[in-house]
Amino acid sequence: MTDPRIERLADLVVNYSIELTEDQVFRIDGFAIAEPLALAIYRAALRAGARPYTNLSLDGLAEILVAEGSDDQIIYLSPVQWAEIEELDALVTIWSETNTKSFTRSDETKHGALIAAQRKLSNRRWERIAKGELRWCGTLHPTHAHAQDAAMSLADYEAFFFGACHTDKDDPASHWQEVSHTLQARADDLASVQELRIVGPGTDLRVGVGGRTWIPADGRYNMPDGEVFTSPVETETEGEIRYTFPAIFQGREVEDVRLRFAGGSVVAAESSRGQAYLRQLLDLDAGARILGEVAFGLNYEIDRFTRNILLDEKIGGTMHLALGAAFQQAGGKNSSALHWDMICDLREEGEVYADGELVWKAGQFLEAAPVAVAAARG
Amino acid sequence: MADPRLERLADVVVNYSAAVQPGDLVVLEATPLAAPLVRETYRRVLAAGGHPEVRIAVDGVAEALLDDGNDAQLGWVSPARIEQIEHADVRIVFESEYNTRSLSDADPARQALVQRARKRLGDRLFERAAAGELRWLVTLWPTQAAAQEAGMSLGEYEDFVFRAGFLDRDDPAAAWREFGERLDGLAEWLGRARELRVVADGTDLRLGVGGRTWVASSGHENFPDGDIFTGPVETSVNGEIAFSFPAAFGGRVIEGVRLRFEAGEVVEASARRGGDFLQEMLALDDGARRVGEFAFGLNDAITEFTLNTLFDEKIGGTVHLALGKSYPETGGQNTSALHWDLVTDLRVGSEVYADGEVVYRDGRFLDLP
Repeated sequence: MTDPRIERLADLVVNYSIELTEDQVFRIDGFAIAEPLALAIYRAALRAGARPYTNLSLDGLAEILVAEGSDDQIIYLSPVQWAEIEELDALVTIWSETNTKSFTRSDETKHGALIAAQRKLSNRRWERIAKGELRWCGTLHPTHAHAQDAAMSLADYEAFFFGACHTDKDDPASHWQEVSHTLQARADDLASVQELRIVGPGTDLRVGVGGRTWIPADGRYNMPDGEVFTSPVETETEGEIRYTFPAIFQGREVEDVRLRFAGGSVVAAESSRGQAYLRQLLDLDAGARILGEVAFGLNYEIDRFTRNILLDEKIGGTMHLALGAAFQQAGGKNSSALHWDMICDLREEGEVYADGELVWKAGQFLEAAPVAVAAARG
Repeated sequence: MADPRLERLADVVVNYSAAVQPGDLVVLEATPLAAPLVRETYRRVLAAGGHPEVRIAVDGVAEALLDDGNDAQLGWVSPARIEQIEHADVRIVFESEYNTRSLSDADPARQALVQRARKRLGDRLFERAAAGELRWLVTLWPTQAAAQEAGMSLGEYEDFVFRAGFLDRDDPAAAWREFGERLDGLAEWLGRARELRVVADGTDLRLGVGGRTWVASSGHENFPDGDIFTGPVETSVNGEIAFSFPAAFGGRVIEGVRLRFEAGEVVEASARRGGDFLQEMLALDDGARRVGEFAFGLNDAITEFTLNTLFDEKIGGTVHLALGKSYPETGGQNTSALHWDLVTDLRVGSEVYADGEVVYRDGRFLDLP
């Protein structure tokens, strides 16, 4: 029998996140190791009357391509992939690594070329998502590799992950509907704020957010989810921030990152490990030194750092401020090939001021958001 | 260390069977069980200058569709399948099943719906193949399920599979080239015959083959391989045939099939087991009652029946006929959503006549060219 938590996750993704409807063409992406979830999602999609099909790859192939392929082979994009992107109405990505460090020793230039080529496909995907032509959700199938990154057993990691999705309980969809109302109310509340000031150990940063839109991440695009985010005013970040958790980009970690901003841009950057990589990423392009996102992590079922951005950026009581590409739907204008989410733990001694008023202390908003208003509207 | 036979299989498949060229888009399909072979093949495709694209099938999807799908879902074909057939230069399928009997309880009428919907895919594949735009290949990765079906341990079954592909030899590609030349000679020689008559226990069947082309299968579209086949004249088949081997098809097994033909069409059909499914397949469309292929199995490295058509139809000393679709390169004109190979053993008590003259007895051609 399938793990009921997997069944509930499949049902949640299909019916709550993607709201799959009859006759929609729906692709299920992932690696072979995600077979149980892929099959459960396929079944849920059939029940929804949609037209599902699976698109699983095999672990280890991209590594072979980078190691043994010619430059032409590495950047090749198949006409089949291009054609499929145009025909999809909905897509789920199941992240499911068998080895999160498999590219560690790969040639950086070649690996970078592969990522850049693949980005052309994903850019087209994002374009269709932004236009409302394509629904997308990213989720995860717990594997030993992810558990290992979290320093947990697979069983414990599964309990942690399904707990974060609320699929360890009956009717997770109504939980997420409630979350959606709460986050929308929080976003509405933040809409009038001109400036946030974040204060914590090694951190005193002012971020201009006036006129920008706060967006509730309520389980439509990611499962699990649970944050509110916006894109800061590009020229209005001042001060310094110290990221308590390692900052990870494409599997490589930079520890104890400290950034100083002036006029919106990073003017000094230090770290205790991975300094060369940090500099390389900051120099990637003109937008790489500017914040593209500021967000509050509000999923309190996620109570620990597990080296997976899907989960880490939602840890209840943290904030993340990403360098690089901004969100257009939030009013952001910064563009960059980078979008590097870095997470700042504010659960112990953090404080956040909105236009001078203390609104957040020790990982919690001080006042509950006006849920009733949101619920009435929603 | 990897089994050297695995590396030889990947090498033969890429460099002999599919003959991958620089720039070829090579679609590889398999279940996760074939992962070692898929990775090795992926490597070889890269080395040959091709662009490998891998699609891993999810175990249980076919069953789920047949169980839960509505008619629209059953009759739907994904854009991935359509676009692959349209764009691929090479398509390689690695049979690698978890369970060869998983569809035993599926509703044959629903299976027929799926099959009819996918007919145009098959048609398009053969069309592009005939135009020289696409090469396709079906091969097998030994799994416990296939071994179980064959009544063997996995180790014994691996030996059987690799031996059938000459992969226990140092230079399998050279062995296939040599074997292919022998098959070509035989195909040319049979091309002169106008009518074949097959006589065996329960079988006395006449097939018109005049004007049709015999094609040698020497490891390019199936691997392993080893038969020569043609498409009989559609209205010419008369008499009866009893198939001594059970037929595995559509995830189930049909036993003791007997067919009687008149003027090319099945007029009587029975099976000891699976009769309902047989009738459902015969009713699939107009072409399903006609013979699309007749062939001699000639691979003497395959001696055992293993309930897998890829191997069974090549057993040295057998013949098979397929109900349904014919291969255009033979001159055959029958179209159908069906192509069902049924195999019968001629190694004991049999004769085949070509235009009245005995040319084959007890599984052997008498006068090899």
